[in-house]
Amino acid sequence: MKILIVDDFSTMRRIIKNLLRDLGFSNTDEADDGNTALPKLQTGKFDFLVTDWNMPGMQGIDLLKAVRADPNLASLPVLLVTAEAKKEQIVEAAQAGVNGYVVKPFTAATLKEKIDKIFERIEAG
Amino acid sequence: MAIDLNDEILQDFLVEAGEILELLGEQLVELEQAPDDLELLNAVFRGFHTVKGGGGFLGLDTLVAVCHRAEDVFNLLRQGERQITPQLMDVILRVTDVVNDMMDSIRSGIDPDAADPALLEALEAILKGEEDAGTVGPAPVVEETPEVVVESAVASTPSDEITDDEFEALLDDLHGQTNSPDPVEAAAAPADSDEITEDEFEALLDQLHDAAPKQEVAVEEVKAGEVAATSTRSSDEISEDEFEALLDDLDAKKKAAAPTVKTEPAPKPASAPAPKKEAMPAAEPKKTETKPAAKIAKEAPPAETTVRVDTKRLDDIMNLVGELVLVRNRMATLKSTMTADEEVAKAIANLDLVTADLQSSVMKTRMQPIKKVFGRFPRVVRDLARSLKKEINLELIGEETDLDKNLVEALADPLVHLVRNAVDHGIELPDEREQAGKVRAGTVVLSATQEGDHILLTIDDDGKGMDANILRASAVEKGMMDEDAAARLDDKACYNLIFSPGFSTKAEISDVSGRGVGMDVVKTRISQLNGAVEVDSTLGKGSRITIKLPLTLAIMPTLMVVLAGQVFALPLANVNEIFDMESAKLSTVDGKEVVIIREKAVPLVRLSNWLVKNSGQAPAVESNGFVVVTTIAGQHIGCVVDQLVGQEEVVIKPLGAMLHGTKGVSGATITGNGGIALILDMPGLMETYASRI
Repeated sequence: MKILIVDDFSTMRRIIKNLLRDLGFSNTDEADDGNTALPKLQTGKFDFLVTDWNMPGMQGIDLLKAVRADPNLASLPVLLVTAEAKKEQIVEAAQAGVNGYVVKPFTAATLKEKIDKIFERIEAG
Repeated sequence: MAIDLNDEILQDFLVEAGEILELLGEQLVELEQAPDDLELLNAVFRGFHTVKGGGGFLGLDTLVAVCHRAEDVFNLLRQGERQITPQLMDVILRVTDVVNDMMDSIRSGIDPDAADPALLEALEAILKGEEDAGTVGPAPVVEETPEVVVESAVASTPSDEITDDEFEALLDDLHGQTNSPDPVEAAAAPADSDEITEDEFEALLDQLHDAAPKQEVAVEEVKAGEVAATSTRSSDEISEDEFEALLDDLDAKKKAAAPTVKTEPAPKPASAPAPKKEAMPAAEPKKTETKPAAKIAKEAPPAETTVRVDTKRLDDIMNLVGELVLVRNRMATLKSTMTADEEVAKAIANLDLVTADLQSSVMKTRMQPIKKVFGRFPRVVRDLARSLKKEINLELIGEETDLDKNLVEALADPLVHLVRNAVDHGIELPDEREQAGKVRAGTVVLSATQEGDHILLTIDDDGKGMDANILRASAVEKGMMDEDAAARLDDKACYNLIFSPGFSTKAEISDVSGRGVGMDVVKTRISQLNGAVEVDSTLGKGSRITIKLPLTLAIMPTLMVVLAGQVFALPLANVNEIFDMESAKLSTVDGKEVVIIREKAVPLVRLSNWLVKNSGQAPAVESNGFVVVTTIAGQHIGCVVDQLVGQEEVVIKPLGAMLHGTKGVSGATITGNGGIALILDMPGLMETYASRI
C-alpha cells in the first residue's frame, strides 16, 4: 500500500513517516501542501492519503474536496491529521468525505487503530 | 521528558521550528503595522500551530503549552473577536522570546522550564476577554438537540472533544443508519463544546453515507451539521441548502460531491432566502468549480528541490576550492615563466576559467540573503521606539542581497548596535522633531547592495546628526589629541572619531545603546571581516553609516606589493589608487611626510620601515617606488612600496599559534610563484603604528 503524507512542516512529515514505517507501511511519499499533493495523487499511484488540515497554499480540507471531486480519486481513503478535534472542523471534513481523523500528537498504535477502522468501514460498506 | 539530542527528528524540529520562529518575529511586527492583513494573521496562527504540533510529538510540553495559548489568541484575532493592540503585541512578542529561549535550552539538551506564569496568565486574560462573547452562540444549540443514541457517551464527555465512541457512533449513524435521523444531532449535542468525539464522528460519517436517500433525514442532518458546526456566524442557514444539495448529489451517486461542500465554508447570508431553488442550481456551479481545482493541480510547483547541507561540509569544500585556487595561481605563474608549449598553455587557461567558475559556484552555495539579519530589525526598532517613546519608521532595502553565511552571522551584532544607535541617538523625540520642522516620525533606512566584489550596507537616519565641533572638543577633553590636531581634522574625520576606543560623548550613554558593544568594537568586528566602516553626518539632517564588506571571507582579492624584496598582500578593498613616486608631490607638514593628491595633503607612510627589519632608514629606491593610496576608516593614507607585482586572489591561511594575533597581519598565503606572502591588515597596522603618522 502506497501512502501519501501531506504536511507543510517537514518534521511532521518525518514523524508520520516513521510512525507508518513502524506499522509496516514503508512505501510512502510526501508533499508539502494540497497544491503539490494533488498532482501526485492524480498519478493514481497512491492507495491512502494522510493529510494535515492546516497548511498554507491548499488546506487539507480543500485537498480532500479536490480529491473527492476527482472521479479517479473519489474512493481514496483519507485520514485527516488535526491539532484539535474541533467539532466544526470534523463535521465539515466528514461532509466533505473524510474517512477518519487523528489528533496530534498520536502514537503508532493510535494511528494503526485509525487506519484499521477506516478499512473496516470500507470493507463493510 | 528527557531530551535526546541524537534524535534526528528533534534536530529537524529545532531547525525547522527555529526558522518558523524567526519568521514569526518578522511577521508579528509587520502585523502590528497591518492588523487587518488576514493572510498575515493566518500565517502567524499557522506558525504557532505548527510549532505546537511538532512539539507535541516530541513531548515538549512546556513549549506546547505556551504555543497553544498563543495560537488560541490568534484564532480569536483572525475571527475578529479581538483587536490587535500594542499591549497584546507586547505579550505575543514576549511569547516568541520565551519560545526562542525554550528552543535554545532544548538545543543544549535541557528540558525547558515552563513559561513564566505571569505570561501564561496574560495570555489567558486575553483569551478570557473573548470567551464571554464566544459562549453566547452555542447555548441555544443545545436545546435544539434533545436526541438519544449517543447521548450517554456524550454525557460522559463534558469536554468539547469528540471521543472514539462518539466518533464510531457518528460513523455508524452516517453509514448504516436505519433509525431516526437524530443521532447526528445527538452527537452534536454537547455543542457547548466545539470539539468532536469519535462517536460523533462515526455517527456523522454513517449518516452522511447512507442517510441521503431519505429527504427528511437529510433535512434533519442539515440541522445537525449546522448544530455541530457550533458556529456563531449568522450564515449557518445557508449551509442547509447547500448540504441538501450535497445529499441529493450523494443520492444520485454523483462523484462531484466535494465541490458542493466547498461553497459551504464561505456562506453568504444574502443567498439564504432561496433554499429550495438552490438544490437544483447547486449542481451547476459545482462543475465550474472543479475546473479551477484541476487547473491549480496542474500548475502546482514540482516537489521540493532543496537539500539541507551541514555548513561544515560547505566549509570543507570552500577550503578545497581555496587550495585549488592556489594551484591555479601557481600554474598561471609557471605558464608565464616557463614558456610552455601551446597545448599546456591552453590547458592552464582552461583550468583558470573552470576554477573561477567553480569558485563562484561554491561561493554561491554559502550565500544567504541578508534578510536573515535584517529580519530582526523591525522587532528591535519597534521595541526601542516604544521604550524611548519615539515614532520611527524602518525601511529595509535590498533584503535579498546575498552574502556569505559567516558574514551574515558575524554582521548581526554590529548591525544591531548601529541601528540601536541610530534610533537612540539619531532620531529625536517626536516633539523635538516637530519643533525642528520635521515630521514627527523619524525614518531609519537600512539598505544592502552588491557593488562588484563587495557589499555595501548603509544605515541612514533623518535625525539630528552630529556636531563636528562637539566631537573635536570631546576628543581633546579625553586626551586623545591636542587642540591643534583636533582643529586640523576635517568634519568627516571628526564623525569617525566615534569609532575610536574610549570615545563616547556624554550624550551618547544611555541605557539603550550604552550597554553591549561600543562603536569601537563594531569597527573592530567589521575590520576583522576585512570590511570598512565610516560615518557621515549633516547636522540637523541625519547621519549615514556605511559598511563595505567583501562578498566572502575565504578568498580575498589583493594587491601584491614588494617591500625590500619581500612580498606582501594588501587587501584590494582598501586600495584607492596607485601612482608613481616620481610624479608624487611630497611635502612635510608638522614634521611628518605627506603627499599632495589633488591639492589635499595625505599622510605618507613607508611600510618597509614598519614591516621589514633593517630596511634602512633612508628611502633607498625612492625614485622607483610607488604610492598606494588606501582608505582606512574614511581616512586616506599613502603607502610607499618598492614594487607592484599585481592583483591576485589569495586564500587566507591563519598564522601559526606563535604568531597568532600579530598586529597588522591578518594571515598568510601562498603566492603564484610558490612563495609565502603575509596579508596585511591595514586598519590593524595603522592602529599599531598610528602615532607615527
